[in-house]
Amino acid sequence: MTPDILDETVEVWFGPQHVSAHGWATKLKLVGDFIVECDPHAGYFHRSAEKCLEYRNFRQGSPILERLCMLEAFLAEYPYISAVEQIAGLVVPERAKVLRTIMMEASRIHSYQFWWGQLSAEMGFFAMTLWPWVDREFFLDTFEELTGVRHSPHFSTPGGLRFDFTEKVLAKLEKAIQVLEYNMPKFEDMLMKSPLFRMRTEGVGQYSAKEALRWGLSGPNIKACGIPMDLRKDQPDPNLAYDMVDWEVPILEHPDHPGESDAYDRMVQRFNEVKTSVDIIKQLIPQIPDGPIIDPKARAKANRLPEGEAYGRVEGARGITSLWLKTLEKAQTPYRAKIRGPCFHSYYALKHLVPSARFADFIVIFGSLDPYPGWWDR
Amino acid sequence: MTGGAVLQFEWFVDWLRGLPQWVFNIIEVIRGIIYGIYDWLWVVINLLWTLVIDNIFFLFKAVIFPGLIFVVMGLIFFVWFTRKLWGRIQMRRGPMHMGKYGGVQLFADAIKLISKEIIIPDKAHRWAYRFLPSLLLVVVLVPFAFIPWDTVWFIADLSVSLVLVFAFLAAVPVIALLAGWISGSKYSLIGGFRAANNQFAAEIPMIMSSVGPAMLAGSLSIMGIALAQSSVWFIFLLPINFATFLTASIISVGVFPFDAPVADSEIIFGWRTEFSGVYFTLTYFAEFAEQMLYSALMVTFFFGGFYGVPWLPGAVNFIIKFLIMLFVFVTVSSSFHRLRQDQIVRYCWKYLLPLSMLNVIIAMLAIVYVPGLALLLVGG
Repeated sequence: MTPDILDETVEVWFGPQHVSAHGWATKLKLVGDFIVECDPHAGYFHRSAEKCLEYRNFRQGSPILERLCMLEAFLAEYPYISAVEQIAGLVVPERAKVLRTIMMEASRIHSYQFWWGQLSAEMGFFAMTLWPWVDREFFLDTFEELTGVRHSPHFSTPGGLRFDFTEKVLAKLEKAIQVLEYNMPKFEDMLMKSPLFRMRTEGVGQYSAKEALRWGLSGPNIKACGIPMDLRKDQPDPNLAYDMVDWEVPILEHPDHPGESDAYDRMVQRFNEVKTSVDIIKQLIPQIPDGPIIDPKARAKANRLPEGEAYGRVEGARGITSLWLKTLEKAQTPYRAKIRGPCFHSYYALKHLVPSARFADFIVIFGSLDPYPGWWDR
Repeated sequence: MTGGAVLQFEWFVDWLRGLPQWVFNIIEVIRGIIYGIYDWLWVVINLLWTLVIDNIFFLFKAVIFPGLIFVVMGLIFFVWFTRKLWGRIQMRRGPMHMGKYGGVQLFADAIKLISKEIIIPDKAHRWAYRFLPSLLLVVVLVPFAFIPWDTVWFIADLSVSLVLVFAFLAAVPVIALLAGWISGSKYSLIGGFRAANNQFAAEIPMIMSSVGPAMLAGSLSIMGIALAQSSVWFIFLLPINFATFLTASIISVGVFPFDAPVADSEIIFGWRTEFSGVYFTLTYFAEFAEQMLYSALMVTFFFGGFYGVPWLPGAVNFIIKFLIMLFVFVTVSSSFHRLRQDQIVRYCWKYLLPLSMLNVIIAMLAIVYVPGLALLLVGG
């Protein structure tokens, strides 16, 4: 009887004190240089966000969600606000809808800019890490000019917005987009045309659309397989202004393996997403209507909510981000809030994706799915 | 009764009379010993002094100029240079607060690292853990003795110094592997094996590339190779060899595009993961010293060593080219994505090795069939 090679596995904990495991831990079993088993563990980043929501009133809840993902803060806070607006029956002014959409797209771009750098850092190219992060500063400046802080802005509130656009904010946003559009071709050259980047990413972490659907992936991870699954188009939110814009859902059909995506395709897909977001912002800026940014009675209406349930959702930078909210009669706080983060699914997809990959490819596969630990530990 | 008392007393007086002589004798003996030691020391010091006076030039070279102090100061400069250049390439400023342009930053870092607590893991072999980093730095610094900075300013020259340098450098991955082994951590062990793997992949192309200059110069001495380039630098005859040598040396040092042994996003810090405080400093400096050594070797093999601008001293010529090579080293190592370990090995064996042999063959055929070339080489 020949000895089974799987008997001689080496168990390696990837995290939670690993340099690139910022608040997560995965147990890997190695045979030589190959991973045979991957066991993602959640819970190292748990901050009981759902319980915290039950102790805050409806205007205080959204900053908790921003903390789950600092990079897409404008998008992360929206599901809660949307759910509150649905239960309270609030009407959002037109100006607030457009401004919300613009800032959400800006937040999405900012999140992808961070991710380009992060993936490059995971592949040891630190120049490409810091170059997009320099451009990201312009978006952070915009956020600071608008809300006073760079991260966790607490921009939206039930019924409207807390801060209005000024000329200065618009100028800074336009400057940020200008810089982004000037530098993006360079980044495309450095990433997508770089032979070393292609060697590391092509054929790595490849899955089909069917598998992605079964694992519950969403957002760019599934659009890279060629499925135009996008909440912005599929179920347009009445409180957002995506219907005012003429745009297409960006998808990627790779000629060599249609219906499947590898790490390289997901990088290309995220470039397409940024281009779409820039297009949406550029179309929306001339259409900003005049008017109030919040219904004056919204504050009083959001103080006590009627009994009800609502499901707020948004197409986040990492996939479908949603929150289910239940309130009791004359409630000041939610009875229960359940967060559905997009990255829980992409993190646990590693369990199927990683085995048979090389040890060095693990972090590339992880990075190409763009998970953020806040979303799965909550 | 009295007689007995007198007898006792007389004996005591005799004893007292003899005491000064006894003390004097003891002093004499001690004086003899001291004079003996003094004389012996005088002879030894004279001998040593004669040795120092006779070899003062060699000692000066070994300790100060192309020797220890120069190399260590160069090392400190190079770490600063690397960090500053990386900063510029990555749109940062690099170190800038300590001293002018952050020039003293390295001393501050070194003091911080040396004064840190040394944490030795339970599973580590304590003796080897303390010993290996120093050994690594020594092994990397010793080959600097054979670098010909000038026709006068070199420490040692052997007829086989080229072979000796590569023998020393072959010990580096062994130490890295051992360091990974004795650290008692799986990440260190993986890193150690990767370092050894890297070196095995890169060493043969590197030595093949150095065969070209050695054959053209007709000498295995590094000084001989430098002297052979008085009329034409070997970069013009062996450009492919230079490219393969540069690539192989980057792989063998293990800096950025080929830094799988210390890939921080994969295996925390490779075989250096468990080293802390001063031991980490030593391994870190060893990496930079190795880059400096390869740059100096490349200047010697391909860029004419100390030949260059005629009215400049040879050492100045050498150092200018040395700095340019360091610049190339840092620039290359900060502009690519990291390769996987199996890709590095495949790259070395499939592309670097045939290329490095190809240029040697071409150069040999050219010397045989192109009439003027041999004359050019010998300086005719």
